Amino acid sequence: MQYDFEEILETIKMTEIEHFDIRTVTLGISLRDCVDRNIEVTKQKIYDKILKYGKNHVKYASQIERQYGIKIANKRVSITPASIPFDSFKLDEFVEVARVLDKAAAEIGIDYLAGYSALVQKGMTNGERELIKSIPIALSETQRVCSSINVASTKAGINMDAVLMMSDVIKETAERTKDKDSIGCAKLVVFCNVPEDNPFVAGAFHGVSEPEVVLNVGISGPGVVLDAIKSAGKIDLQQLAEVIKKTVFKITRAGELIGREVASKHGIPFGIVDISLAPTPAPGDSIGDILKAMGVEDVGAPGTTAALAMLNDSVKKAGLMASSSVGGMSGAFIPVSEDQAMIDAVERGNLSLEKLEAMTSVCSVGLDMIAIPGDTPSTTIAGIIADECAIGIINDKTTSARLIPAYGKKLGDYIDYGGLLGKAPIMDVRNLSSNNFVGRGGRIPAPVRSLTN
Amino acid sequence: MFISYFGKLKGKKVKLSESEIRAIAMQAINELGDNANPELVKEVVEKAIKNSEYVPIPETQSQTTGRVILTSFGLNHPGIVSNVTKVLSDANCDITDLSQKLMGDFYTMIIMLDISNSPKDLSEIQNDLNVVAEKMKIKVYLQHEDLFRFMHRV
Repeated sequence: MQYDFEEILETIKMTEIEHFDIRTVTLGISLRDCVDRNIEVTKQKIYDKILKYGKNHVKYASQIERQYGIKIANKRVSITPASIPFDSFKLDEFVEVARVLDKAAAEIGIDYLAGYSALVQKGMTNGERELIKSIPIALSETQRVCSSINVASTKAGINMDAVLMMSDVIKETAERTKDKDSIGCAKLVVFCNVPEDNPFVAGAFHGVSEPEVVLNVGISGPGVVLDAIKSAGKIDLQQLAEVIKKTVFKITRAGELIGREVASKHGIPFGIVDISLAPTPAPGDSIGDILKAMGVEDVGAPGTTAALAMLNDSVKKAGLMASSSVGGMSGAFIPVSEDQAMIDAVERGNLSLEKLEAMTSVCSVGLDMIAIPGDTPSTTIAGIIADECAIGIINDKTTSARLIPAYGKKLGDYIDYGGLLGKAPIMDVRNLSSNNFVGRGGRIPAPVRSLTN
Repeated sequence: MFISYFGKLKGKKVKLSESEIRAIAMQAINELGDNANPELVKEVVEKAIKNSEYVPIPETQSQTTGRVILTSFGLNHPGIVSNVTKVLSDANCDITDLSQKLMGDFYTMIIMLDISNSPKDLSEIQNDLNVVAEKMKIKVYLQHEDLFRFMHRV
C-alpha cells in the first residue's frame, strides 16, 4: 500500500480525536473601489462587493470539509481597513458603513467580518479619527463587525495619543455593551506591528498591498501537539523540539492544502497559511495544557515563558519548512477566556497579568481576551497597552491587547460569552497610576536597531 | 500579456491578449459606426472571437484525482467487509488496495479507491457509507487522498 497503516491512522486520530481542525478560512476583499460621495451609493457598493465574492464562501468551505474530512471551524471575511477608502466620512457615516458590513456578513452566513480598522502608528487623518470615535457605537450596534487599530510599529514608535484615545474607546465600548458582559471589547484589538494578512478575527483585515481578493487560512491544532508531547514521554528538550516540529509540519501541510482547495473553488488566489496554534475552550485543545505537558506545574510557574518560547519557535520552524506561504501571526495564541487551562491557572491564582505580559514577549500575539475590573481607569488601560506595544517595537514582533474592562464587574466575577469566545475570570490589575506618564501624550520614538542588549 | 475576459460568451470564459481585444474593438467600430447598440456590439464581438483562436479557461477543478482513502474501524463482527464493499461496488468505485488488521476484538480496515468512474460524487458515497456505518455500529471515514499525500510525503 502507498501509505503505511500508521500514517493513515495518525491522520484519522488527529481529525477525529485530537480536535485538529482548520480554525478559519478567511476571504480578504478589497473595498478600495467602493467609495462614493453619496453614502447610499457607497453602502450599496460595499454590500454588492461582499456578496459578489462572499456569497459562496460558506458553501465552498463546507464542500472541502467533506472532501478531506477536516472540520473548518470558521468561515470569515476581512476587508480593507475601513478608514482608508472612506477617509472623507464622518462618525455617523462610519456607523452606517458598519451596519451595512453587518448586514452583508449576515447575508452570506458568516459569524464575523473584520477590518473596521485604522493604521495610526505615526499619526491620524481626520477620517481615521472619526472611525476610532465611531467604534463604541459601531460595535454596540452590530453583531458581526470586528475592529482593530494599529497604534505602534518598530519603524514609527508608539503613538501615545492613539493609545490614550483607544483606552477611552475600550471603556466606552464596554459600557455600551454592558448588557452582554461588555462583549464589544471582545471584537476590538489594539495592535503593534500588525500583520496585513492575518486571517484570525478579530484582528484580521485585508492589507493595502493585498490583491483584489484573496483567501487566507488559519490552522489550529493544540490538541494534536499536546498528544504528541504526552506520548513522547521523558525525552530531553532537543528531542521534544523535534516532536513538536514533526507534528506541526503535518498540520501545516493539511492547512495549506485546505486553503489552496477553497481558493481554487472560489477561483481566486491563495494567500497565506497562518500556522498559529489557536486554542478553544474544548478539553485538551489548549496551549496551557501543552505548557503543562512540557513540564511546568501550572501556567505561570517559573519556566513557563521558556517553555512557551520553545513551543513558539518550534511551530515557526516546522511551519516554514512545510509551506512557502506562511504569514499572519504564526505562533501560539495565549488567550485567557478561550483556553481552559489558562482559565484554571488564573482561578488558582497562579497566572497574573504581569506573567502573561512576560509570556507575550515570546508568543505570537499579546494580551488576548483578558477581563479586568470595570472600574479600571482608562489611563491604566493605556499603560497596559503601552507596555504591550513596547514589547512589540523593541522585539520587532506583533503584539496586541484585547482587554475587556467588564462593566460593573470586579475581581472574583466572570464574563461568559459561550462558544469560541469562552468565559474568563476578572483578573487583578495593579492599583497604581500610569496617569502622569501616558497623559504626556505625543509619541515614543522608534527604537534603535543595533546595540541589542 | 493576457487578460481574462469574463463575459458570458456562450457560457464559456475566454482568454484574450490586449492586441486581440484592440483588434476586435476596431472591427466593431468599423462595422457599426454610428449604429452601435448593445445587441449589435455583442454580435460583432462574438463573431470575432469565434473566428479567432481563443484559449478557453478551464473551469476550476478542485479535485485533482478520483483517489480517495476509506478508513474503517470498530468492534469486529461478520459482514463488515461485505457491507462496506457492497456500497462501493454499487457506486462503481474501483478498489485499488485493501488491507486490514485485527487488534484483539477491534479491526482496522483501510481501502484505497478510485471514484473517477463512479456516477456518484464523494459526498454521496459518504452518505451511503454512513448508513452502513450506523447499521453495523462501526466508524467509516472517506477522505480524498491528497490529504494524506500532503501530510506524509514531502
